[in-house]
Amino acid sequence: MVEFKTISYDVVQVGEEFRSDDFLIKPEDVETFAYAVDDHHPWYFDESPYGGPIAHPVLLGNQALMMRHSRYIIPAGLHAKIQFEFLEPIRAGMRVRSYGKVIDKFEKRGRYYMVTEFATKDEESGAVLVRGQFTQNIFKGETHGA
Amino acid sequence: MGLKAADSIEIGHELAPRVKPIAQRQIDCYSGVRPKSIHTDAEWAKKKGFAAPLAQGLMSTAYVSQMMVDFLGEGFVRGGKISASFIKPVLAGDTLTMHGAVKSKEAEGPHTRVTVEFWCVSQRGEKTMVGTASGLAA
Repeated sequence: MVEFKTISYDVVQVGEEFRSDDFLIKPEDVETFAYAVDDHHPWYFDESPYGGPIAHPVLLGNQALMMRHSRYIIPAGLHAKIQFEFLEPIRAGMRVRSYGKVIDKFEKRGRYYMVTEFATKDEESGAVLVRGQFTQNIFKGETHGA
Repeated sequence: MGLKAADSIEIGHELAPRVKPIAQRQIDCYSGVRPKSIHTDAEWAKKKGFAAPLAQGLMSTAYVSQMMVDFLGEGFVRGGKISASFIKPVLAGDTLTMHGAVKSKEAEGPHTRVTVEFWCVSQRGEKTMVGTASGLAA
């Protein structure tokens, strides 16, 4: 059983690790993403230089972002910064999982932030597909509601 | 196909601006609809002080990715990087225009890393996101 706590600056610990659920990338996920961001590049639906279609490089960003939700209730928090590094093409049919670690938390001008580094891997090959870092605004102490 | 020739890329070159109207239905698809979400529950967003639901910041990074795949192709899919800072929230119904200009070219192993400075502007004239994106050229 996971005991969910509401995330806050006081509760989050530097060094804390996260692990997402695994996720099978389906062709419909690629299509939904294309609609959502209005990007229908032919490489995502037909042939690509990698042999067969690939997926949008940013497709898995939400999986990494949502890692915290596997342990915490997340009141609305806005992003301050995001970094991505795209290492390998993503494809439908891959089963992927994101792994993360809180590497810093800090206060700046009365606002509170947590910094999480992450890597999203193909579970079958172990290859890192995307890695990066999120800096997210969080509340200082206990709060209720999103 | 292959990497774009670095010699064909000039520093200062401006990428074609990309205009992105953002509909609530697209935000719903991106974020997944749920109650008590500032992205997909209009009443909840108002309660939290926003005039309309917010588009996730990640959506704007996808527009950067689109711009860079169109510009550098394979050199962005494998070897691409994005570093973005978010300045202002983006609301459902907003129209963003993504701008980019080549900032630098630097040797990286056998390739050249091409860095683009980007900035995203809403129809209100506000910068909503700024940063750099890069990829590899031959």
